[in-house]
Amino acid sequence: MVIIEVRNLTKVYGRQVACRDICLSVEEGQIFGFLGPNGAGKSTLVKILLGLVYPTAGEAKVVGCAPQDIKGRRQVGFLPENFRMHGWLKGEELVAFHARLAGLDGRTAKRRAHEVLELVGLAGEGRKQVANYSKGMQQRLGLAAALVGDPRVVFLDEPTSALDPLGRRQVREILLTLREAGKTIFLNSHLLSEVEQVCDRVAIINRGTVVADGRPEELQAGSAKVAIRLDGLTGELVAELRRRDPDLQLEGDRLTLALNGRVEIAALVTRLVAGGCRIYEVTPGHNSLEDIFVHLVKEGELVCG
Amino acid sequence: MRLMALFTFREAWRKKVVLLAGLLTLAFLILYGTGLHFIVGDIAYSTDHAAVSFFEMMEAITLFSMGIYFAGFLVAGLAILAAVGSIAGEIENGTLYPLMARPLSRSDLLLGKYFGLAAMLVTYAAFFFLALAGLIYWQTGLILPGLAPALGLFILKPLVLLSITMLGTTRLPTLGNGVLAFGLYALAVAGGMMEQIGVLMGSPAAVYSGVIASFILPADAVYRMVVATVIDRLPIGSGQDTPFFNPQMILGPFGSQFTPSDWMLVYTFVYIVILLAIAVRTFNRRDI
Repeated sequence: MVIIEVRNLTKVYGRQVACRDICLSVEEGQIFGFLGPNGAGKSTLVKILLGLVYPTAGEAKVVGCAPQDIKGRRQVGFLPENFRMHGWLKGEELVAFHARLAGLDGRTAKRRAHEVLELVGLAGEGRKQVANYSKGMQQRLGLAAALVGDPRVVFLDEPTSALDPLGRRQVREILLTLREAGKTIFLNSHLLSEVEQVCDRVAIINRGTVVADGRPEELQAGSAKVAIRLDGLTGELVAELRRRDPDLQLEGDRLTLALNGRVEIAALVTRLVAGGCRIYEVTPGHNSLEDIFVHLVKEGELVCG
Repeated sequence: MRLMALFTFREAWRKKVVLLAGLLTLAFLILYGTGLHFIVGDIAYSTDHAAVSFFEMMEAITLFSMGIYFAGFLVAGLAILAAVGSIAGEIENGTLYPLMARPLSRSDLLLGKYFGLAAMLVTYAAFFFLALAGLIYWQTGLILPGLAPALGLFILKPLVLLSITMLGTTRLPTLGNGVLAFGLYALAVAGGMMEQIGVLMGSPAAVYSGVIASFILPADAVYRMVVATVIDRLPIGSGQDTPFFNPQMILGPFGSQFTPSDWMLVYTFVYIVILLAIAVRTFNRRDI
């Protein structure tokens, strides 16, 4: 079931286009990674999905409702980037207040607040004033507040930016637990390795336009690099390979070039052997999400269908 | 809305806004009470309330009017400072986003904040008013005529200022809104003073400019209504019905040379409601 749907969404601030004709759909139960460089329009899209910003054109639906619809927002949790909260409250009061706003009664709100504080690793810290929390603790508290209403969809904007490696791992585990419980997570993050580890689907946005959208392995299945240690390479063969990849590198006995996919590796080796080369080692390169991200952001390639 | 109102009231309490305002008020009351004690000491007041003469009463009312005139500044300052960044400030520091993503309409959030602050301000203004009235009674033996309606009018003043400041904070940055709210308040106070001087000096232009200022922000007009309410309720036969004599003249620019029309009161209520409606509409339409 599609739980987040965005159709031809455009947002213009004066002369500046923040989002241009964005189309997206997120299935329920997925962890959806939303990537993009600074100023690409990520936060604007999240704000539109939460009803904080009105789109100039197009429409968005979350849990089948318009973003401004109160009914839909009962099923949504949100952790904003650079989470800031009312410092005069105690941690447990803040989370319980969010629970009350989410529609829980007083007693349930308190119980639920304790549960989520424990979940995010803040058990025993709830009686401290928020103003005295460290940045990392505040981020965990924000996550607790986002989860306290037991939402179907959680929007997390850079949820681990203030956390140490242990904290990041813990948040990743929480995300996976939430997915197991059938929750949908819309994850906005710069930490591409993290996105790669947990996300079922990824979209990359650049200059307000979605330039890639798919499963991480699908995106990584594109162009791949291969490094081959060999000898007997003739000038004629090098010229032939350079037509395939003008940026190929030849350093000593090591040849590195880009292919359109891993499936081409076998054909390449066959051609090299037929051309008189002796192959000692073939190392297929791994196309990380970071490679894809950097490549797409540079290319500005439009993939949105 | 109720949750938001309680939250806002607690915020004002916990941030020690009320405590600081309370300490300032206490300092004001000590200063005022001391001054009152020595001024009254120079005038031989009868300890029998029934025997207090009209002029003694007017002296006590003059001292009270001056007290609430200056108390009005403190109440106004608290109203403006409490509300000046209640929306814009929370957007600027990012605390509004998680709240706005909750199943809470923007109008509920805005009105919740308004009513939470209003509850705090009304309590504070009422305490201040009654403390001043109590000091007057203690020192002069005068139970202020029209105490209850005057109190009702006095607590209206912070609500007027709160509504204009809430409207401002839906659109303007905190600093800009503060400048606007204090500027309008200064305009209203200066206009009100000009109107009274205009009456005393027979200058219709000064009177009209005061009236216009009252329409722009009826904060000073509310003060004039308080004073008029007290004077109009002086006991019959106290001497205030002397022909060709307006007891308000004794109060000079702190008085209300004409009793403001009941329509001014209606206008003030309508003003608050309209400003809040515009604030809700503005907040509903803006991007956050």
